[in-house]
Amino acid sequence: MLDSKTKSVLLERIRTVVGSDHVTVNETDAILNAHDANPLSEAKIRAGESLPLADLIVFPASTEEVSKVLKLANELRVPVVPVGGGAGTCGGTLPVYGGIQLDLKRMDKVILIDNQSMLVQVQAGVVGIDLEEEVNRQGYTTGHTPTSLRASNVGGFIATRSGGSMSSLYGKIEDLTLGLEVVLADGSVIRCKAVPRHSVGPDLKQLFIGSEGTLCVITEATLRLFPLPKERRFRSMSFPDVHSGLEAIRLIFREGVLPSVVRLYDPEDTALHVSSHFDVEEGSCMLMLAFDGRAEKVAVEESIAAEICLKNGAKDYGEGPSRYWWEHRYDMYYPTKFATSGYSVGDTIDIVATYDKLENVYHEMKKAMEAHDAVVMSHFSHMYPNGGSIYMIFFVSKEDASSAWSAYKGIWDDGVAACLRMGGTMSHQHGVGTTRSTYTEAEWGSGFQVLRQIKEVLDPNGIMNPGKLGMGGRS
Amino acid sequence: MDQAKTAEQLRLCAACPKMCRHMCPTFLAWRSDSPTPHSRSLLVYQEMNGTRNLDERAIEVLYQCLECSQCLVWCLPQVDVAAIVEDTRTRLVEQQRYPQGLDKISSMIATNHNPFGELHSKRSKWFTPAKNVGKKIVYFSGCTAAYRENGIAQSTASLLTKLGYGVSIMNDEWCCGSPLFRTGFRNQGLEEARHNADVLNKQDAQEIVVTCPGCYRALSRDYPENGVQLARPVIHISQLLERHLDELKTADFGGLVTFHDPCHLGRHCGIYDPPRRVLNKISGGKVVEMQRNRENAMCCGNGAGMRMLFEEQARVIGKARVQQARNVGAAYLVTSCPFCKNMLASQDAEGLTVLDLPEIVMASYHLHPKVKM
Ligand SMILES: Cc1cc2nc3c(=O)[nH]c(=O)nc-3n(C[C@H](O)[C@H](O)[C@H](O)COP(=O)(O)OP(=O)(O)OC[C@H]3O[C@@H](n4cnc5c(N)ncnc54)[C@H](O)[C@@H]3O)c2cc1C
Ligand code: SF4
Ligand code: SF4
Repeated sequence: MLDSKTKSVLLERIRTVVGSDHVTVNETDAILNAHDANPLSEAKIRAGESLPLADLIVFPASTEEVSKVLKLANELRVPVVPVGGGAGTCGGTLPVYGGIQLDLKRMDKVILIDNQSMLVQVQAGVVGIDLEEEVNRQGYTTGHTPTSLRASNVGGFIATRSGGSMSSLYGKIEDLTLGLEVVLADGSVIRCKAVPRHSVGPDLKQLFIGSEGTLCVITEATLRLFPLPKERRFRSMSFPDVHSGLEAIRLIFREGVLPSVVRLYDPEDTALHVSSHFDVEEGSCMLMLAFDGRAEKVAVEESIAAEICLKNGAKDYGEGPSRYWWEHRYDMYYPTKFATSGYSVGDTIDIVATYDKLENVYHEMKKAMEAHDAVVMSHFSHMYPNGGSIYMIFFVSKEDASSAWSAYKGIWDDGVAACLRMGGTMSHQHGVGTTRSTYTEAEWGSGFQVLRQIKEVLDPNGIMNPGKLGMGGRS
Repeated sequence: MDQAKTAEQLRLCAACPKMCRHMCPTFLAWRSDSPTPHSRSLLVYQEMNGTRNLDERAIEVLYQCLECSQCLVWCLPQVDVAAIVEDTRTRLVEQQRYPQGLDKISSMIATNHNPFGELHSKRSKWFTPAKNVGKKIVYFSGCTAAYRENGIAQSTASLLTKLGYGVSIMNDEWCCGSPLFRTGFRNQGLEEARHNADVLNKQDAQEIVVTCPGCYRALSRDYPENGVQLARPVIHISQLLERHLDELKTADFGGLVTFHDPCHLGRHCGIYDPPRRVLNKISGGKVVEMQRNRENAMCCGNGAGMRMLFEEQARVIGKARVQQARNVGAAYLVTSCPFCKNMLASQDAEGLTVLDLPEIVMASYHLHPKVKM
């Protein structure tokens, strides 16, 4: 928390930058803006606990205003926490040390759609669904379809290296971002030109993509566009176990087929999310596939994939479960009576690994997490030619708050430890935030020193989102 | 809503990762996480749990809600934020803890029975009785048509006469109470309601027709829910016109027509098709839908006290709605609500003619008949 003198000086000066309607020190606003969609924060709110609050919330309208606010914050050594859609799952926007929450939602312009190069230039505060609908109207898709599309914005996507449910075909946000504009802690504005590829030293923008507000504020981006697919076909196959399903996925990619959706549900996840609507044999695993593109291409891809699945012991379920998932893909994120009763908390550890390790990571994590009396269910999704991600979903319920929170922490600690032990990486798309912050050094190994040194150069006063990404705890 | 149900809904919504926020017009207007469905529930949840009382800003956030119920359409567990907000407002009014800006409207309704502060004696000035012996119908014009949108009131009376009705208006019509119900002044709203019911129940008519969906919801829902019974059926003008589709004329309007669903007519009373059928008939099928239509139609920004308390943001919403009509190439933006019409027409609607349903139907009588159907 800031002392009252610093706070009032800062408020006065920020008012001159953004106008008094666009900065607030009101406690109610601070409470309403404090949390993202981190399940622990949500559980704590439900239990009546308080979260750390920002001293000021600032809503800039331009890169210039962002720059001026950062200069002021840097001068006064005030923490700055960028806020995108506020729907991250890792507590990335929690103002752990108070200071300024810099909320970019007013920077919501789609600046330019370039038909020739198939690009869109946007401000960071455009909400995903608004951007997608805008480019849909012009016959395009961004190809970025996370289930947070309705709540998160472009800056948040980029800051967390997020991944859409069709990343197997279109890529993750780091593949989709060609140009970037960011503001550093000292207020300087950096522009990384939008080019398809280059060979002029390291790719600077990749340093900022995924930096979670610890190195810069993302103000603008140039993203790739794809023509809206003429056809999207769905296919579902059930497998007797995880192993045969994963093997089929690997072989599909090896054949050069790139489905847009690849999701393999383990027996527990199949039982909960598929068996309630389709007649599936107990213990089996449902694979959901989708293919995007021209009709001829899609037909060939679907038949190759189906042949591989059937050769690997699958049973054909037609389009049913896969299409059902697509049409109901947002449903599982709504609160339910069961999941919000008493002291319950659930979360997802979204890890990633290569095929040689993936199955072992899955089994070891499941064992480690279940040791805490948690219900664990998983699906393999966001699959690629060399490996893919697992959504390790858990749920735990205890008789009181402190047991629930400590079980939650235990599951995370042991789950991530198992992942790292087996050679996986602890997040594919959700990022680090506060949830994974303490494990970052173990994940990065000796490379972490490099990250830390970069941070010290770009943000010597440690004002940028302190306490996140394993960096910058303040005294 | 009963207390246990409210408590459960609040618990769900307080823990929601903002699944409907993108559809909330007040999120669009403020671009902040405060005036959003989840935040409104969270404030009431914290109060209910004793974690934190509603302070002045919290009350303001609750009064920044349009009660448009768009969030409910996108809510899988069916949390009714508009109802929660309205119940909380009612409690706040009982405790004298509402925004002072509302005193004006409540006192104007108390004195003049309309929220505009106009003289009650001038309420029926727009009306010229016509001699007609047809089915007797009483037209409850509501305050906006009576004082601000006379064109709607006059078109309605003329249209009803043309269709063979014997039209009367109430001798002493008071505000339907809608602005009071929606802003938490339930008891005061019921005083207006009781008066209207007394007069209407004595009126010599077979049906009551309304043009304002706010009046429609008040008369057909709020009155009976609060024990005020009307002896005649209440019908919205769009439903009445639908009955006479065959008698309506088709005309060449020289451009596409799009329909804006008023929240009280669509989401709150489920009337979506009648106005569309009427427009389809009179335009010869030249109706185009906005991307957000029917249960997803965006509120015009004029609901539940918003324009009175937060004019600038209400206009941001109205302007966005007008733009949505432009996006689909409409030449006419038609609604079936004097309140919505007033809001939409007062935006920068250049190149777009904003009309209410009876107005465009009356216009069809004055235009050349359509050649090609
Ligand atoms: C229902 C639901 C479904 C989800 N599904 C997916 C999914 O399918 N795929 C996926 O990848 N993720 C998913 N997520 C997680 C999350 O929404 C994303 O990771 C998303 O990218 C976060 O974006 P946001 O705008 O909400 O960011 P926020 O929560 O606002 O911020 C996230 C982090 O980025 C920083 N940040 C935000 N904006 C900027 C900026 N402009 N400059 C610098 N730093 C910034 C913040 O400081 C914070 O550290 C889901 C979350 C929810 C609630
Ligand atoms: S109204 Fe429903 S969808 Fe919207 S925030 Fe509340 S629980 Fe979530
Ligand atoms: S009723 Fe309308 S304005 Fe109010 S919270 Fe819901 S969507 Fe927003």
